[in-house]
Amino acid sequence: MFYSILFPERERQERPLAKDVPDCFRDLNLDQIFMPLLERKKRFNLDGLFCTSLRDPVVIRYRQDVMRELENEDLFALVSHFSETVFDLGVKLETLYRLLGSDKSYDNNYLTRGRMLYCAELYCKEVSALSEGLNGLELKSSGLRAFSGYLNEYRRSDFFVKLEEDISRLRERLATVSYNMLINNGTIRVRKYEGQADLSVQVIEMFEKFRRDGVKDYHKKLSNEPVADHVEAAVLNMVAKYHKDIFADLEKFCESRLRFQDATITRFAADVQFYIAWLDYIRSLRGKGLRFNYPGLSENAERIYNYQGFDLALALKTQGVVVTNDFVLDAPERIIVVTGPNQGGKTTFARAFGQLHWLMSLGLCVPGSKSLLYLFDNILTHFGREEDLSTLNGKLQDDLVRLRELLDNATERSVIVVNEIFSSTTLSDALTLGERMMDAFAELGAPAVVVTFLDELANRGKETVSMMSTVKEEDPSQRTYKIIRKPPDGLAYAMHIAGRHGLTYEQLSRRLKA
Amino acid sequence: MKANLMFRDRDFDIKAEPCFGKAVLTADLELERIIVCMSRGDDTIKAACNAALFRPLPSPEDISYRQTVLMDALENPGPVRRLYEITCETNKKKSGSWYWLYPSQYLASTFSSAVGLLKIYLEMLTEFRAVADESLGGFKSEGFVELLTMLQRELSNSYLESAGELLEELKDGEGLLVSARLGCYLQGVDYVLRRKETAHFWRNWAFAPSYSLAPRDDAGAKDMGNRRDRAINDVTNALAQAAEHIESFFNMLRDELAFFVGCINLRDSLSALGMPICIPELLPAKDEERSWKALYDVSLALTKNEAVVGNELSASAKRLYIVTGANQGGKSTFLRSVGQAQLMAQAGMFVGAESFSAPVRNGVFTHFKKEEDKAMSSGKLDEELSRMSALADRLQSGSLILFNESFAATNEREGSEICRQITQALIENGIEVFSVTHLYTYAAAFLKNEKTQYLRAERLENGERSFRVTPGEPLHTAFGEDLYRKIFVKGGELA
Repeated sequence: MFYSILFPERERQERPLAKDVPDCFRDLNLDQIFMPLLERKKRFNLDGLFCTSLRDPVVIRYRQDVMRELENEDLFALVSHFSETVFDLGVKLETLYRLLGSDKSYDNNYLTRGRMLYCAELYCKEVSALSEGLNGLELKSSGLRAFSGYLNEYRRSDFFVKLEEDISRLRERLATVSYNMLINNGTIRVRKYEGQADLSVQVIEMFEKFRRDGVKDYHKKLSNEPVADHVEAAVLNMVAKYHKDIFADLEKFCESRLRFQDATITRFAADVQFYIAWLDYIRSLRGKGLRFNYPGLSENAERIYNYQGFDLALALKTQGVVVTNDFVLDAPERIIVVTGPNQGGKTTFARAFGQLHWLMSLGLCVPGSKSLLYLFDNILTHFGREEDLSTLNGKLQDDLVRLRELLDNATERSVIVVNEIFSSTTLSDALTLGERMMDAFAELGAPAVVVTFLDELANRGKETVSMMSTVKEEDPSQRTYKIIRKPPDGLAYAMHIAGRHGLTYEQLSRRLKA
Repeated sequence: MKANLMFRDRDFDIKAEPCFGKAVLTADLELERIIVCMSRGDDTIKAACNAALFRPLPSPEDISYRQTVLMDALENPGPVRRLYEITCETNKKKSGSWYWLYPSQYLASTFSSAVGLLKIYLEMLTEFRAVADESLGGFKSEGFVELLTMLQRELSNSYLESAGELLEELKDGEGLLVSARLGCYLQGVDYVLRRKETAHFWRNWAFAPSYSLAPRDDAGAKDMGNRRDRAINDVTNALAQAAEHIESFFNMLRDELAFFVGCINLRDSLSALGMPICIPELLPAKDEERSWKALYDVSLALTKNEAVVGNELSASAKRLYIVTGANQGGKSTFLRSVGQAQLMAQAGMFVGAESFSAPVRNGVFTHFKKEEDKAMSSGKLDEELSRMSALADRLQSGSLILFNESFAATNEREGSEICRQITQALIENGIEVFSVTHLYTYAAAFLKNEKTQYLRAERLENGERSFRVTPGEPLHTAFGEDLYRKIFVKGGELA
């Protein structure tokens, strides 16, 4: 029996979601990624879902399958429309139920009942349209297939069939009602309409002979919504006096059909926004040629990789103008050490590594053309702020305290991202501490990315892989933002710059000889 | 309802884009003086005459239709002026009232303004009817007879009466009768303003259930206002558009009548000077014949306020007219009289001549030498050529172009060659050319061209100028020859 589009089993859905924003969000810029999306979809209350990572590959695949299926444009449009409409109807109906429970005629009147009838009608229409739409597609994901089956059964149920009958009977009867209002100085009188001639038509006919092209339109855009509900309700009350049985029928409908919506369908309408929101969010980046994929799930970190990945936060900020990068870790490799010129995309690369894992753990499609990622228990990050040199000692201490915490919490199932720590101490200190850290990571056995200015760390052992940010050969002042596998070469960039000033050894020698 | 005085089958658009070079034509042909005389300070007449003069009619049939209406107007100046005055009075009453129609104002204001305006218009339409009833017998042209009978037919007594009744009911303050249906959630929709039945109205409604707003129910009052607005939305649009339609009917009638009033004014002025006018004969565009008697510069006559000299011509199978002769001998005046007559004729007007016959032209262009301009000391030839180039973009087979001392800003050899090449190209491409020039080399270049008509400003035997332009080939004033002879032949001392 279908229960949720987010979890294959009922008990998983009922486990509590994370209430707080995870620690890694700030360092990895995941907050920048999710904030606009959650803001846009505020009413669906998706925050907990994006903050709760999953470890169970069954659940992750359940979600991946649903999302992959929803990439079909027609299905997406169908489900997205349904979700918004039915969710909003639910909110509106809650208000109406409250009013219908009231004994004040100001709240509980024919207008309120009319609104409930309208909501019920829309609800039935939406449910049927979605069900038929889904039946017309060959669904592959177990989540959507099960939901489609559920809908079919629901539509065949006595409850739903009777509900639709009631609505269409009421509509037919109400359509026969037409009335006249005599509006004069704050008083409205009501009688049945008795075929009186249309005054506008008579005016048009009278002056038709003068008709010429190109006149202005003097119509005002006036909404059909009543300005004051109590006046509209009062008019309806008078109209009801001429059609007593029809309005009694409506009253009976509202009493007997209070809270007619199905809980599972209501839940679906809200939950499916998790997928809708994400696909909507990344659509423009895909339009710019950036790729997204459904990562394979690795249980043991023997091999993890991602091709054509990118920092999603940066891509959103630059509207798709980013350089993509690849990484591959084959056992025994586990730690990527990134060195190279500053402003060359090192931190961005490290963030992307962390982001990819978090997004994977939610069951979302992730940046890149193809990937295999590690099923982690926790993402641990430590980002130093190299710009701030004002509190040298305090900062080194802080760095170490945080590193200690990180190592305390880490397991071999963790994913670690460390960015430019120890930049606030002497080189020899930094080296010693850095090597210690590397040894600790190697021992831990968790995959990690370490961004550092210390070339030595890149050759630390068989676990480490050296990658470098690169510059253009012909103009070294231009970054490529490509991070590639390459032995560390901190001098190359400096030599390029020296060369441009004619200050390399050969150049300077020649100049001095001249 | 159409006026159809200017055209048999379409409206006269006073705001239509004028033909190319309106300002240049006005200046070169001195048309301003003529328009001032026609309009006598009335802006509408001025606009109508401008619109007619600078939208030359290309078809002899259209011209002939307008000429017939014009002749009728010239015969019946009284009723024509009266009809025109009614349209002007209507406009004045409208401006003097507080009734405004613009879509952004309150619906209720539009509603009452439209009703008010329609009442004014109905009153003025009644006056139209009266003029039609009185004066129909005096008119003969299709345009006027159709217009006046249409006014009688469409504005019958019973029509004017029931329209008046409808407006009275709309002004009536006894409340709005509005029908409605139930919308998706039972709110009232499809509001339609209904006509109240005349019999038993109050007996029917006296016992109907009613709802009255409580005092200080602001939301309710706002609702009531919106309810009224929704009820009158359609009818207000219909009324305002009707008012607009009738207003534009009046405006159209005013614009068309204005042209004929302008013609009457000009005729009156010219006949006071004793100058002749005639209804011109327009030949098909392919024809190359021109003939006229006593063709004069209307503008010159009006400016001098006295009779002026006219010219005679009878040319057949000509495409190029080269005018030479003494300075201040009337060449420019002649050229202007040709241009004026062509434009006036193709506007359906009379022309300043005893008789005038010419083919229709699909465009009239002028290229006059500019008076010495101090600000532009250099590049005069350059400026002339660039003007010519702009004209060349518009000239086509069947156009008429008038040159006045063009390309003389350089020496004779260069100027002549430029002129010759341009002229040659124009006439070979079906363009009719009038060229006033003192460039002998240029003028003489077409002596063997059969399609050329040479004209010369006349100088009498005693050396006085008659201001007449008559057929005659260019004279080679051979000062060099004279000098040579003077120096070499006479005495031979210098040889």
